[in-house]
Amino acid sequence: MSGSWTIAQASLPAPMDGVTLAHYLLVSAAMFTIGLVGFLTRRNLIIMFLCTELMFQAAGIALIAFSRFHLHMTGQTFVIFVLTVAAAEAALALALVVLLYRRKDSLSAEAWAEMKG
Amino acid sequence: MRCRDGALDAVINPYLLYVGLALGGLGVCMALPRRRVSPQALGAVLAGLGLGLALLGLGLKSERLPNYNFYIFSAIALGAALRVITHPRPVYAALYFILTILASCGLYLVLAAEFMAFALVIIYAGAILITYLFVIMLATQAPSEGELEALAEYDAEARSPVAATVASFVLLAALTTMLFGGAGDLRPRDGAGLDAPIEMMPQRAERSLREEGLIAAGDEVVGVDAAAWTATLRSGAEVRLPDSARLTNVERIGHDLLAEHPGSIEIAGVILLMAMLGATVLSRRQVELEDEAKRRQAERLAAAGTVFADREVSP
Repeated sequence: MSGSWTIAQASLPAPMDGVTLAHYLLVSAAMFTIGLVGFLTRRNLIIMFLCTELMFQAAGIALIAFSRFHLHMTGQTFVIFVLTVAAAEAALALALVVLLYRRKDSLSAEAWAEMKG
Repeated sequence: MRCRDGALDAVINPYLLYVGLALGGLGVCMALPRRRVSPQALGAVLAGLGLGLALLGLGLKSERLPNYNFYIFSAIALGAALRVITHPRPVYAALYFILTILASCGLYLVLAAEFMAFALVIIYAGAILITYLFVIMLATQAPSEGELEALAEYDAEARSPVAATVASFVLLAALTTMLFGGAGDLRPRDGAGLDAPIEMMPQRAERSLREEGLIAAGDEVVGVDAAAWTATLRSGAEVRLPDSARLTNVERIGHDLLAEHPGSIEIAGVILLMAMLGATVLSRRQVELEDEAKRRQAERLAAAGTVFADREVSP
């Protein structure tokens, strides 16, 4: 390796010892759970969608950790598709939220309770 | 990796894990916004303690000193994530979400996924969250007089916090039990398999050789053997590849994306196109307000007008 200092190749993985796949999976699962709690408890439509993004993010961390664990690139490639889906979801969901807000003048999820089946 | 009975014991002490999760659940439940005085700070401390216990349980079982970068980034990420769901004001929740993203990028860097880390900053923190902030600003009512600090009713109070937290943390306990059954150590970084795609990129190998001056001017590479790490030249000679011929993260992702998943790229493009069309169609639709809603909006605008008029008179 040449003398140039690069984050990924020289510096960071060196003190990697001691962190196992389980560490990353714990962080990923905890972040997913926080997103889930937020989705279930918050009543603001925008915050609810932010919480789904939080869950996407947790899935991304797990994918990258598995990619590193198996030394296989497909995990990282899949994060690109997670980003794609997140972007599409954000565009559609936010357009819907603006529409709903203009109609009911409120961001509360309970304003649409009559849509229950 | 096979999941076998008692494998959880090898990774973490189960009691420590479950006590940590219970503490974390209690903390998250206390930190959720409430109408009355809510013990948010205490809840956050409890949640942090719970996570700390679980991580400590993991650390006790591995014999070497753990990577401090991982702990810093994951603590910031989870703390900010907790703040996203507990902050009563949507704008601050979105800003804390950006902090979560940046901390996750740190985790990606520790995992040697530098391309995805920077893509995440650009796409998530740069594009998606800005859209969220725009919508939050579009869809928040202008504060009328006397309630500048007041929160919307649906932001001030969480919906059934106890039931949701209990259900979610039972799910988390089950998830971690299953996950840790098959988890093992991260492998050392220099896996030979990661460089295998260079066999399909003779020109990439030739460029590295030329930069290092290991190839004659008229010669060219005709074949590469990644396992032996040598290149065969047209002149028949075999040369050892230099270290600069090792593929970078971006080259590996690019190869994996185009060689292994070409159909998925097309599908992703279609998804994005559909989302764009959908968002355009949705936002062009005229909203027919009912009389009641029209009256409310007029009242609100009138109230806002008087607020501004007052300000002009008495600065």
